[in-house]
Amino acid sequence: MTFLKKIIQRTPTLRIAFTHLLGKRRQTLVAMLGVTFGIAVFIFQAGLITGFQTVFIEKTVNTTANIHIYNEAEKNRKSLFEKFDANNNDWVVVYSQKPKDEDPKIKAASEIMKDIERHPLVSGVSPFLGGQAIFRNGISQRAGRIAGIDIRREDQLFNVAQYMKQGDMLKLETTANGVILGSGLADDLGAKLNDKITVISPQGVSLDLTVIGIHESGLVEVDKSRAFVKISTAQKLLNVSGDYITDINIKLNNIDAAEALAKEFEHKYGYRAQDWKEANASIFSVFKVQNMVTYLVIISILIVSGFGIFNIQMMIIYEKLGDIAILKAIGYKDKDIRKIFLTESIVIGIIGGIFGLLLGYVVTLIVGSIPLDVRGFVAIKYLTFNREPIFFIMAFVFGLVATSVAGYLPARKAAKVDPVDIIRGK
Amino acid sequence: MTEQNNNNKIIIETKALNKYFYEPEKFQVLKNINLQIFKGEFCSIVGASGSGKSTLLYLLSTLDTDYDGEIWMDGMNLREKSKNQLAEIRNEKIGFVFQFHYLLPEFTVLDNVKLPAIKLGKLSEEEIETKAYEKLEILGLRDQALKRANKLSGGQQQRVAIARALINDPQILFGDEPTGNLDSKNSQLVLAILKELKQQFHQTILIVTHDMLFAGNTDRMISFKDGEVEEDKYL
Repeated sequence: MTFLKKIIQRTPTLRIAFTHLLGKRRQTLVAMLGVTFGIAVFIFQAGLITGFQTVFIEKTVNTTANIHIYNEAEKNRKSLFEKFDANNNDWVVVYSQKPKDEDPKIKAASEIMKDIERHPLVSGVSPFLGGQAIFRNGISQRAGRIAGIDIRREDQLFNVAQYMKQGDMLKLETTANGVILGSGLADDLGAKLNDKITVISPQGVSLDLTVIGIHESGLVEVDKSRAFVKISTAQKLLNVSGDYITDINIKLNNIDAAEALAKEFEHKYGYRAQDWKEANASIFSVFKVQNMVTYLVIISILIVSGFGIFNIQMMIIYEKLGDIAILKAIGYKDKDIRKIFLTESIVIGIIGGIFGLLLGYVVTLIVGSIPLDVRGFVAIKYLTFNREPIFFIMAFVFGLVATSVAGYLPARKAAKVDPVDIIRGK
Repeated sequence: MTEQNNNNKIIIETKALNKYFYEPEKFQVLKNINLQIFKGEFCSIVGASGSGKSTLLYLLSTLDTDYDGEIWMDGMNLREKSKNQLAEIRNEKIGFVFQFHYLLPEFTVLDNVKLPAIKLGKLSEEEIETKAYEKLEILGLRDQALKRANKLSGGQQQRVAIARALINDPQILFGDEPTGNLDSKNSQLVLAILKELKQQFHQTILIVTHDMLFAGNTDRMISFKDGEVEEDKYL
């Protein structure tokens, strides 16, 4: 500190700059507060938005397979008439055309899975058999989705164990007709652990299942409808044979390879293969808009704090025209004058910025510790803030750039002051 | 006019110097000025306001660079110098005293005096301080050195301004009505100091003033009228 003081003492331009700032303490403080709030909001906003997005991606993307292979049913199938009559302009009308009962089954699924497992980039493969069902507990009745899985493989892909609210997921293997209900579905049905519930499929099969666990992924809609069962149980319910599955989910060592690999698999096995980015494309586009809005808000705030600095600098310059004139008369160059006033802005920026970083950090800590039970797309108990150092660096750099730009214009004006005008005018 | 200065070095010389003002309409302020200022002279320029005397001073002191003709200082043609070079010339070779003192009010007397020397950067911190004290001694202000500039009286402040003008041992000291804001007692004091500077230190001094009493005490008085030299005489 004393070293710094000495440097300032011995460098007239620095001393003049600090004298100006200290001579206008209140305005300087206001300008600094402008920067402080600008940067604090930067840290808060960016931390909140990206923190939320990270949670959302973790929940959503991590419950999406890196690559998902399934049999895509052909929609809007052309009628036979239309097919044969393609070049004819006669009117062909087929009423009440129904989709053909195409089997969503993946043929030779176990061979495909074995083949995929051998791929060096693949770290896990999980079969899946899905279907609609009505869940019944006494008189409560809910529609939901049956998810027939191999629990160990599913856990490897989606961390089922981590999200188990009650019960032991491995009981699914040992219990004859076990089911793991989504937490919302269990609540709606009023079903508790070890209760027996009835499941009825559209195929007309009805089974009594024992609730061996309750699972909460955090994605509200999913938790309200999904029930895990063993694949064999699902096959019984949907009245299909023992090798019948509809989907294969794949986990990769490197999720960035998903897009290329999905194309490869699609080509190789002849089934639709969707990578996680494609599956969640709508979310990512929402995030893009969200980020844009956030940065616009941040930039506006920094511009406003720039005005604060511009203001105080112009005030100081008008007040100190005499000082500027005499400094120029005794041999200070334009750039020396510019340096004085630019230094003032940068000092405001640095000090205001440091406090802004601290304030921003403290606010994220405080807000992040307030418990709240939000259930929107995802269920969260606390706001999660992203406190990566890069945000703090970015906020500080942006703050400095804003203050430098705001300070440059007045500084240039000061450098252009003609001493003769000032001295002769007095 | 030459008998006194035949062997003396010319510090400043103008050759066919003309100056125009363009606002509010074109007006010739200085008409064909040919002047020589010699080393060691204590010279005054007098004239009614509007006669162009101050304008000449600002041209000679390099602060105003808009003119026709030539100005030579210490063997250099000022027109050939860049803005930054002129700033360096002002710093090293020129001292200024204006009607108003223009001290930095928040700085001490000593720091104000040191300012041009620090900018010049030729001496160490300690040497500059010693020199600043020397100059303040000449002006009788040694005991005021550590006071803030705005705590001094008007007469003292003007003398601090003179000390500041002298810190780099300039070739020439310019004054624009340096006693204009002072009472007669302080005016006398400033005059006495300038005389002493000339006699003891052979300081070249060029003062613009409308105070005839002051001008009458200098070595050479140049009278201006309507942008021309009306009279140039040694006293």
